[in-house]
Amino acid sequence: MTSTPGHSDPGNDWPGSPHEAARFILDKLPGCSAVEGTPPTDERFHHGDDAPVLVPPEIIEGAGFTAIRAADPHAVRGVSGFAGFLDGTQDVRVVNQVHGIPIVWATVSAAIRVRVNRRLMAWSGSPPIVSRRYYIPFRYVDGLAGDLEAHPQIVDTARLDSSGNPPSRHPAALMEAAITRVQQDREAVEIRLAEAWCAMESRAIYVDGSITGSAVTASSPLAIGVVKSHRRLYADGDAFRMVVGLGAGERSSVFRVAPRGRSAVASWYLRVRPAAGRDVLFGLVRVEAALGDNSTERASEISRWIIAEGAPLALPDGRWDKMAYGIRDTEEFLRAIS
Amino acid sequence: MSGPLGRVVATERKPNTPHEFHFWTSLDCPVGIGTIVRVDGTHPVDGRIPRIYGIVVEGFSYTDLQSPMHDVLGHDGVPSNAGFAATDRAEIRLYTAAVLRQIPEEPLQPVPMGEVFLAAEEDVATGLRMDAYLREGANTGIPIGVYRAGATDSVIWLDADFLLGPEAAHLNISGMSGLATKTSAVEWLLSSVFTHFPESKGSIAAVCFNVKGPDLCYLDQPASRLEDSDRALYEKMGVKPAPFEKVRYFAPYTAKGFTLNTLRSNEALMHNVTPLTWGLREVLQYAEVLLNKDDLDAKADALIDFVGERVVNRTMEKEGPLSRDHTVETFADLEGWFRDLLQGMERANTDSWRTHHIATIRKVRNRLSNISTRCAGLVTDTGNVSDLPFGSFEDRAVYVVDVASLEEDAQDLIFARVVSRLREHLERRDLGVNNLIVFVDELNKYAPNDAQDTYVRKMLLDIAERGRYLGLVLFSAQQFRSQVHRRIVGNSGTALYGRMDADELATPGYSILSPATRTKLATLEKGQLMVRHPYFTQPIFVRFPRPAVLSGRDGAERFPQVADVSIEAAIYRSLRQLDPHLTMASVQALAGRYEEDELIKALHATKLARPQNPLAFFRSRLSSIIPAEKGNRARAGAIPLRPLPIEDPYES
Repeated sequence: MTSTPGHSDPGNDWPGSPHEAARFILDKLPGCSAVEGTPPTDERFHHGDDAPVLVPPEIIEGAGFTAIRAADPHAVRGVSGFAGFLDGTQDVRVVNQVHGIPIVWATVSAAIRVRVNRRLMAWSGSPPIVSRRYYIPFRYVDGLAGDLEAHPQIVDTARLDSSGNPPSRHPAALMEAAITRVQQDREAVEIRLAEAWCAMESRAIYVDGSITGSAVTASSPLAIGVVKSHRRLYADGDAFRMVVGLGAGERSSVFRVAPRGRSAVASWYLRVRPAAGRDVLFGLVRVEAALGDNSTERASEISRWIIAEGAPLALPDGRWDKMAYGIRDTEEFLRAIS
Repeated sequence: MSGPLGRVVATERKPNTPHEFHFWTSLDCPVGIGTIVRVDGTHPVDGRIPRIYGIVVEGFSYTDLQSPMHDVLGHDGVPSNAGFAATDRAEIRLYTAAVLRQIPEEPLQPVPMGEVFLAAEEDVATGLRMDAYLREGANTGIPIGVYRAGATDSVIWLDADFLLGPEAAHLNISGMSGLATKTSAVEWLLSSVFTHFPESKGSIAAVCFNVKGPDLCYLDQPASRLEDSDRALYEKMGVKPAPFEKVRYFAPYTAKGFTLNTLRSNEALMHNVTPLTWGLREVLQYAEVLLNKDDLDAKADALIDFVGERVVNRTMEKEGPLSRDHTVETFADLEGWFRDLLQGMERANTDSWRTHHIATIRKVRNRLSNISTRCAGLVTDTGNVSDLPFGSFEDRAVYVVDVASLEEDAQDLIFARVVSRLREHLERRDLGVNNLIVFVDELNKYAPNDAQDTYVRKMLLDIAERGRYLGLVLFSAQQFRSQVHRRIVGNSGTALYGRMDADELATPGYSILSPATRTKLATLEKGQLMVRHPYFTQPIFVRFPRPAVLSGRDGAERFPQVADVSIEAAIYRSLRQLDPHLTMASVQALAGRYEEDELIKALHATKLARPQNPLAFFRSRLSSIIPAEKGNRARAGAIPLRPLPIEDPYES
């Protein structure tokens, strides 16, 4: 059920927590049993299960793939042009099992926090979105109450893939399929908010993750995506050496990114913190902006904004080297309301 | 009604209880230690939405920072860099409040979750249970100050039944010296009591002992400065910002015997200053005050009782060792009696008289005879008595007994006798008023916790424990409450605290206060008090106005104490209070012919009698003696003797 905090349906008996979800489905699915004590599945380890790959960049700024100084690492942090921060979270749990088939319950949420007088608060343009759903492989489950199969908040995770094959009955494969669907749902609610921002606001928004999932955000000069994970690295050969050798405050040349089935954007790598003595990806983010905003000045300006967002630190989050404090604040906010 | 300023929160680590709850507010919320708030519950209990009133006793502030090191890292170790950060960390203001009252009061439950509001004036009255005595028909409220928070400006009332009896009584004030707390608070509170004391409870007066400096010497003089804010407080609390209308001062003489031993000696203020002098009869009953335990063994005590019952104010005929009849009315008479008795015993070579051993008689003679020396100026050899107007106390009058410049013995004697007499008259219901407030400062000195028992301390304990049944109420003050006898502070139904010393706040008596409340107590501004009262389940902070009377310091500047004067000048000044047309020359012409002792006796008698023609009366007191030329006075030539008295109206 998708809901907005502060709005409740009086007649709604849809579960609001994993514990309620475990009890609810017991009545609806004969033979299933509750699974106690499973920890939430951490989104970080399931965000990009694609194999790590190096992709040659399609450069659209200058003649070669070079390092460009965007900000002086020794100077005080500059002014940020971001007015808002968008992030989403997901909480995935196996709440029941029936004959070895996991019944997954997940909460996905997204919110925008705006900055007013240097303090962050919920954006009044659109309330946060919180959605709670079951992820069940219908194919492998018998006896699910008839009315539930058509319920909009129950997702079939055993649909045929593009090759016409269902996912394996293997519990891990079913979990993987469920998590993929959860991620899709999460991205969907993030996109809803991002598009709302682009339609209603005139200031830039810092989006945690890619903006290529929506043609609106991918083409809006207001949405800036900041990608922290680098399973797919747009740097090969000499470009790879250049990217991993970026110093603090340096960015790469702008290149074009056009994932399959998604919108094309301009992108560049940026080192927001010095990585000396750390792993090569420490403090390295990939920035996405609408094509057309790919001028050197624009990319460098956005880079300075992102570097400015490095204080205060997002600690104790483990991704603090790449994460803006506004994004951590948004995650904490979502944790509080979802 | 304004919107909520906070929300109640509770966690497993910090749960709410029936006596305490926690809430958070926005960062700019006007809440602080001592703020009164109201919680509106969300779920009805017994069909009624619960309302909880609380007072903030602790505050917390923190951010989402888990380690200070993270902040250092975030700003590259340069504090000034923090100012350039685009975002401030999420920050919380979390407060702990002590419950003042829950409605409904039963069943008593932990404070529920709900919205928190700043208490409005009616909430303050309800939360502090003042509604019980401010309701129609009760109306026994005495304003003590104004509670302020945000837009709330609420008068805090004490219940007269619990401040002045009979339910509870007595008031104790603690605070550092010199910060306008103790004396100012009492002056203000007396004004408030005199204005709002319920008519149904009869008349009331106050006896104040001025124990140091000029603190209470100018209660009848208007304040030199009263701010508009003070006037607003007076108006809000319905008290006239004016000095006391009826004030009388009492002070003994100095050892010389002709000037009063008080800082209120300026001629412009002498009209309501009365000498305080006692004779043998008045003192003997309280001889115990002046004698130490070694003096007062059973034998000495028995002899003193004998003297009091069989000798003083009686005629003892010549018998046994006594060579003549004795009428003992003064210390001088007593000395004569002792001398005659001891000489007779020595002549008869006997060592006891009426079971009293000669050594005991000598000891008691020695101890009693030097009382007039030790308390010179207060105790007279002549037996002249000038006292407080016991029996004719006036309603809403203040009687100040100035003992500030006296030796400790004399102070103790005055305390003991005055309070005992007050008590006796109140028991007989013939003091002149139904209720009496006695104010004593420096309780650390007069009723200490750790010293040996003294008559004064016993007397103060007696007032504290039993005075309320008589209408005798003790207002006491001291710097260190922890050093005052526990039964005195414990019996004080109402306690006021001004700014406190940190060492004092570290004593066990203050452990019931939260650390934040103690910190606030240590930093209170002038004019602020913390109030504890039987109706209030928690201490409340209030503001009170500057007293409308002249402060001791200002008074001493405006009405400087007169310098040590000659006997002629002292007579002139004293008699001029009775006859403004008197001239110095007329006094000098008369005084120059008499010995100083005779002049002093005549002066005391004149001041006591307050005749219509004071000079004539004064002269008449001298008339029985033909003065001798003073040998030590250089004179230009022989002055012819004049017939005396001259135009003595009392001889006709």
